[in-house]
Amino acid sequence: MPPDNGGYMIAAYVVTAVILVGYAGWLWSKGRRVLRS
Amino acid sequence: MPEAVRLALAVAAKDIRAELRSRTALLSAVVFAALVLVVFNFARDPTALSATDLAPSVLWVTFALAAMLALNRAFTVERENGALDGLLLAPIPREAIFAGKLLANLAFVGTVEAVTLPLFVLFFNVDLGAALPGIVAVTALATVGFVAVGTIFSAMAVRTRFAELMLPVLLLPFMVPPLIGAVQATSRLLSGRPLSEMLGWLRLLALYDIVFVTLCTLAFSAVVDE
Amino acid sequence: MTAAAAARSIVRRGMFLTAVALLGLAAVYLLALQYAPVEARQGLAQKIFYLHVPSAWSALLAFSLVGIVSGLYLWLHDPRLDRFAASSAEVGVAFSAVMLTTGPIWAKPIWGTWWTWDARLTLTLFLFFLFVGYLALRAALQDPAERARFSAVVGILGLLLVPFIHLSVYLFRTLHPQPIVLKPSAPSLPPEMLRTLLVSALVFTLLYVGLVTLRYGLTLAEEAREEAGDAA
Repeated sequence: MPPDNGGYMIAAYVVTAVILVGYAGWLWSKGRRVLRS
Repeated sequence: MPEAVRLALAVAAKDIRAELRSRTALLSAVVFAALVLVVFNFARDPTALSATDLAPSVLWVTFALAAMLALNRAFTVERENGALDGLLLAPIPREAIFAGKLLANLAFVGTVEAVTLPLFVLFFNVDLGAALPGIVAVTALATVGFVAVGTIFSAMAVRTRFAELMLPVLLLPFMVPPLIGAVQATSRLLSGRPLSEMLGWLRLLALYDIVFVTLCTLAFSAVVDE
Repeated sequence: MTAAAAARSIVRRGMFLTAVALLGLAAVYLLALQYAPVEARQGLAQKIFYLHVPSAWSALLAFSLVGIVSGLYLWLHDPRLDRFAASSAEVGVAFSAVMLTTGPIWAKPIWGTWWTWDARLTLTLFLFFLFVGYLALRAALQDPAERARFSAVVGILGLLLVPFIHLSVYLFRTLHPQPIVLKPSAPSLPPEMLRTLLVSALVFTLLYVGLVTLRYGLTLAEEAREEAGDAA
């Protein structure tokens, strides 16, 4: 019976997504501003 | 004596003279070291941890923090005298200037360490005994490494607004391998372990010194020349 | 092609690559959560491995490139090299942040402790501090030539510090046997796990390339804008 630690998995997957998508999104919005100018 | 060596010693002498005239950084570093030792004494539980277990770490954290303060003295000297700019106008090889600054910094940090060690023995009741020459050697070996990196980073940090903050931020990661090596070797020396048990650490210290003193000497001209 | 136009085309390429990589990341999430089997002894938390290891790889890649390109800059003095190094450092911070957060989240259920001074975690912690120092120095210097030279020195010194960190951790571990906790051993990964890991590594690498390209383009655009502002 595997240990019940799904919560950790969810936390890690959420944090990773927040950091990477967040950073990418921030750069992306700056990119949009550059392309529009 | 080769010209470069003579120049390096001249640079070192000038820096040391400048500091001896003002004496501020040296004194504050020594007082700081003493205070850190006092704090460590009250921070530990004497019944839980023996002095010999904690001793190497306490000693080296104190050395590291005091060295940082001593390296900061370079800023006051530079800012008040603009000494470096004058030196750079002359056709002096940059490696010699670096060597001179390194020697001056070693003199300061070495002095702070030399004063801190007896204080440490006093406050912590550590019996150095036969370990003293070994500890002096390990201290010298570790100090050369991080002071070399500290010297070049000082030259960079002095050009920034928060130089006193920039230096530790840049330097601390580079202090870790010499610190670990020094603490491990000192710990074994204090326990009277045979030399064979610390060879790995001593090699680490020596290799670090060779690599970083060379690199910093070579990189110095990139920092001071346009 | 003007600098501004060149910058725009690089930004466009970066945005495209990043978008593809993020789609890939979504696919990796699916693969890791659905396709890869659950490890019996370690449970679901083991799946953090599919994010943690590739982000470590990306962080190390970012850092190595900062170091190598810094060395090249000191030799060739090409401002493009400096721009690339700065971009790689910033992207490296993001991947290091992922590593430093997923590391403890993974370690706690698997090893029983939030932090272990094992080689990988310790190294990433150092990479993080070196990145931060590098970027802090850049932020504190105004003159572009001085900023480029100084950060290049920090970059190359930092790269050469890495083997010493490794050596220190190695010496520390061999002479200080660590208590045997529930150690995750993966002598041979089942094929589904290996495939997922490889896909993830590929996606993370693509994400690195996309983000660095985008960051580089943005820096170039910023410089072009400043120059136009000066000329006006």
